[in-house]
Amino acid sequence: MIQFVNVTKVYPNAHAPSLNDVTLGIGRGEFVFLVGPSGAGKSSLMKLLYREELPTAGKVLMEGKDVAKLKDQDVPFLRRSLGVIFQDFKLLPERTVFDNVAFALECTDVPRREVIRRVPAALELVGLRHKTHSKCQELSGGEQQRVAVARAIVRNPVLIVADEPTGNLDPENSYAIMKLLSDVNQMGATVVVATHAKNIVNQMKKRVVAIEKGCIVRDEERGTYGYES
Amino acid sequence: MNLRAWVTAARDAVRSMTHSPLMSLASMATVAVSLLVLSVMALLALNLKYATSTVEQQVEIRAYLCTAQVPNTKCPKDELKEDQKQAIVDKVKKVPGVKNAAFVSRDQALEEMKKQFGPQKDILDDLDGENPLRDSVKIQALDTNQVKVIAEAVLKIPGISDANYGQEYVDLLLAFNRAVNIGGAGLVLLLIIATVLTVSNTIRLAVYARRREISIMKLVGATDWFIRRPFMMEGIFLGVVGALLAMALTGYGYDRITTYVNLNIPFLPMRPPGEVLGNLTLALSLLGGALGGLGSLVSLRRFLKV
Repeated sequence: MIQFVNVTKVYPNAHAPSLNDVTLGIGRGEFVFLVGPSGAGKSSLMKLLYREELPTAGKVLMEGKDVAKLKDQDVPFLRRSLGVIFQDFKLLPERTVFDNVAFALECTDVPRREVIRRVPAALELVGLRHKTHSKCQELSGGEQQRVAVARAIVRNPVLIVADEPTGNLDPENSYAIMKLLSDVNQMGATVVVATHAKNIVNQMKKRVVAIEKGCIVRDEERGTYGYES
Repeated sequence: MNLRAWVTAARDAVRSMTHSPLMSLASMATVAVSLLVLSVMALLALNLKYATSTVEQQVEIRAYLCTAQVPNTKCPKDELKEDQKQAIVDKVKKVPGVKNAAFVSRDQALEEMKKQFGPQKDILDDLDGENPLRDSVKIQALDTNQVKVIAEAVLKIPGISDANYGQEYVDLLLAFNRAVNIGGAGLVLLLIIATVLTVSNTIRLAVYARRREISIMKLVGATDWFIRRPFMMEGIFLGVVGALLAMALTGYGYDRITTYVNLNIPFLPMRPPGEVLGNLTLALSLLGGALGGLGSLVSLRRFLKV
């Protein structure tokens, strides 16, 4: 489903490439942890997926299509097919839980009837139905990240990209979020998670891809974190 | 694009304006001042054009008949008799290109002058009953461009001492008209740029205030047009309200000026307010809206590059 073919990414004014000749394939329905030290290139890899960045060299193929060659006006349609989750949640704090999740649909002109049907279902899945009308700024960190997950899954994406989704959460909430992502994966979505959560990676026994200095150094089915945290 | 999306965009635009009302008001006022100058220029140009065409239509030749009071080598020494005067008028009528020729006695001419002077006709009382004017033939040409040729032909008719036509005034007015049009075009261009920059600055602040929202919109797959929509609406709104403010002031001023001119300088032709203000309001609102929209686009271009 996703293929990185000899991908190199060099940021302007950087001393070394963030990604150096990376080749990686991720199949449909897979759950992949990206691990490695800070600054190893995990986030760069993810940004190439939702085309916030373009590769300096090489190809990023999604369902066979070269993401880098998409026209500007087609980029929004790529992003509609995936859900992105961040460490800092990226919510609108003064708006309600419902509004934040609905936002992803309203921004793409989904009819109101459909919004009213899909948002509660997504909130149900992340266990936040009872907080529908709370403002996001009133929620705990774990709850806010669950809102972000609900927003990512509300349009049934084929791919979920999560960049350190548990970075700001305590272990209990971290586990809950990873469990949620695993559930979404069970429902058919491909999930790619960059993380430093050693215990969870070790416990979940999923595919682990380790990146160091822009290169893939390890790729294991049912792998472990492999670093001292 | 459904109706609800437009309503949402309009709500966002209003929310943005009420979020920083002083900034919005300042922006509207600046746009209004620019468009005010623009509308004054437009009215000036319209009236000059009107005056020129009115004067052009009124161009007529005055051929003055010989009189003993004003000695002229071309003229007989004796005063012309009535039948001679009539013969001259008949000859004038036969000059090619003449549409109409009518005899105007010196007494009639004085009466006409009194009428033209209107409230200031008292000046003529200083003449102490003397009439300095001469008998003349009022000639209208079939074609305004022919007045010079006709005037030359008429001058050759014995009994006519000289002929005048208002071409020099028309030329002067045309030159003035051109100068105003060229100078006005330059000024209008500057004002248009100023208006676009004003709106774009306001919108830039609005965009900055909502940069987080915009980045999320981009992430969830909103198109650039979807993101632009509320800001465009805000820009257009600022432009249109600015235009309406400008037109309220211009309309009031023009109404006062035309009333004053009609009362005090009746021979100066001006377009009646009812005839021009409606169209000008419409044109200025469209221009204000377009410039506001353009201003928004200018400031959004940079923000939407991801």
